[in-house]
Amino acid sequence: MDPILAEIYSTVFDAAPFVIAAYALLFAILCGYVVFIMGKLKRTEKKLAALEEHVDEQE
Amino acid sequence: MARTTAMRRPSTWAHYVALLKKDLSQELHTKDMLTSMGLYALLVLVVYGAALAQAGSELDILQMAGGLLWAVVLFTSLMGLNRSFSHEKEQGCLEGILLVPMDRSVIFLAKATANLIFLLAVTIVVVPLFFFFFLGQAGAAPSWPLAFVCLLVGAVGIAGVGTMLSTITMNTRGKDVMLAVLFIPLMFPLLWACVSATTAVMCATDGFMDTFVTSMALAAGYDVVMILVSWVLYDFVVSA
Amino acid sequence: MADEKTARLPRVGGRLDSLAPWALALGALLAIAGFVLNFTVAPLVNGATVAEPAVIGGTLVGNKLLLSQKIFYWHMPVAMASFAALVFTAYYSIRFLMTKEYRYDVRAKLATETSLVFVLCTMATGEMWTRFEWGVWWTWEPRLTTYFVLMLMIFGYFILRNAVEDTERRAVYSSVFGILIFIDVPICFMITRLIPSSVHPVIFRTDSGLSPEMLLPLLLSLFGFLLIAFGLYRLRLRVQLMEDALVRIQDKLED
Repeated sequence: MDPILAEIYSTVFDAAPFVIAAYALLFAILCGYVVFIMGKLKRTEKKLAALEEHVDEQE
Repeated sequence: MARTTAMRRPSTWAHYVALLKKDLSQELHTKDMLTSMGLYALLVLVVYGAALAQAGSELDILQMAGGLLWAVVLFTSLMGLNRSFSHEKEQGCLEGILLVPMDRSVIFLAKATANLIFLLAVTIVVVPLFFFFFLGQAGAAPSWPLAFVCLLVGAVGIAGVGTMLSTITMNTRGKDVMLAVLFIPLMFPLLWACVSATTAVMCATDGFMDTFVTSMALAAGYDVVMILVSWVLYDFVVSA
Repeated sequence: MADEKTARLPRVGGRLDSLAPWALALGALLAIAGFVLNFTVAPLVNGATVAEPAVIGGTLVGNKLLLSQKIFYWHMPVAMASFAALVFTAYYSIRFLMTKEYRYDVRAKLATETSLVFVLCTMATGEMWTRFEWGVWWTWEPRLTTYFVLMLMIFGYFILRNAVEDTERRAVYSSVFGILIFIDVPICFMITRLIPSSVHPVIFRTDSGLSPEMLLPLLLSLFGFLLIAFGLYRLRLRVQLMEDALVRIQDKLED
């Protein structure tokens, strides 16, 4: 590769892992939050089912 | 000309003076806050002595002086604020005050003024001690008395926000830590501005007046906004 | 009896709730469009000059090209989303103090939670940029510092909520602290204007220094992330309201 071109692009390859890591981290955090919400939803649904059973027994 | 024989309702100013007098006279009797704050400040300075002992003579203490001074002031005020509502709570004094039909924000102003007076009293002792211990050789620039302006503006903000937050943390679990957790981040912009202004007047490098004026304007603006908001919101906090 | 109980279940699926999935989908699309355009259309920014210019793709390039700046196209939108969420925290906190209705307290809490998620995103992306460009993991740069303090305040908000047992007190205290946090938002936002030596560029001005090819992906991502924040918040709120209603029903049944 041409040395001048190599100099122009010198930081690009070094920066790539950090750019990828930044986007990946951002995505991971948002996904983590969605998983957290979904976990809460599942727990609520379970409680709802238990409550329904309880009410049915009472009748 | 019917003269009202009923007792005249005391003015807001009278409320304010009465509340302030109560705090001051209580402090004069017990000297609880002043001694604990003063001792604490002295001890922090002793810790500085140990922390800086190995730094040697090449260290430019003047560059750090502003920051170190503000660290003492901040921690000391935290110590005082933690105690400022403990009497009220232990002796049920606050409930009594809340029974009086008056503007609740007066309680905030009176309490903040009392805290400010205590903080300033301790600061007046701490600053000479600080100079005595750490700036004996280096000596500050001739503009150093301007640092008292910084201390005043900073203390006003600390007392205002601190009074508000210590009212909140009074009723929480682990209140000492809680106050620090809420107080230090909220004070950060003010602390930053005050340290920058204090360092500027102590070092007096070229154009230091610009830094000083800008920082003090920011600090004063922060004080005004914070105290106004605290003043408005205090009624909700103290009644809850 | 069963019918009466089910009638008390949370009314999910209001107009805003039906909008939320679409907002989420549209937001994701816009953010992805911004992401793609960022790497295809937007040019690389220039760094230090090199010894001798070279011709790349028909244009003369005399500077090092910086890839690290690409982080900015999602960094700034998530930061704006976190600020926007805090605006809602303050709004709902004020509404709570005015009306003392708990629905506003729940909303204020969840808006703060959404804000926390986006603050973490901003910190993560910003941290990567700092590490590469300055070679350090942390430095006390003004914008970085004020933002970090903002994060600490949001932590403090949740610690405060956990430390108060009484429900009404908790709501009042956290509302008041939510309003106090909001004061830091303009400081954080304005700090690049007040202390111009900072590395964060001033974007919202007429001559922002961004070419249209760079502004387009940025704005797409910005609207995308605002919509994503809204969608996530509504989703979280829906789950929370359901959980609260469930607890209420349980309490009633036990009586």
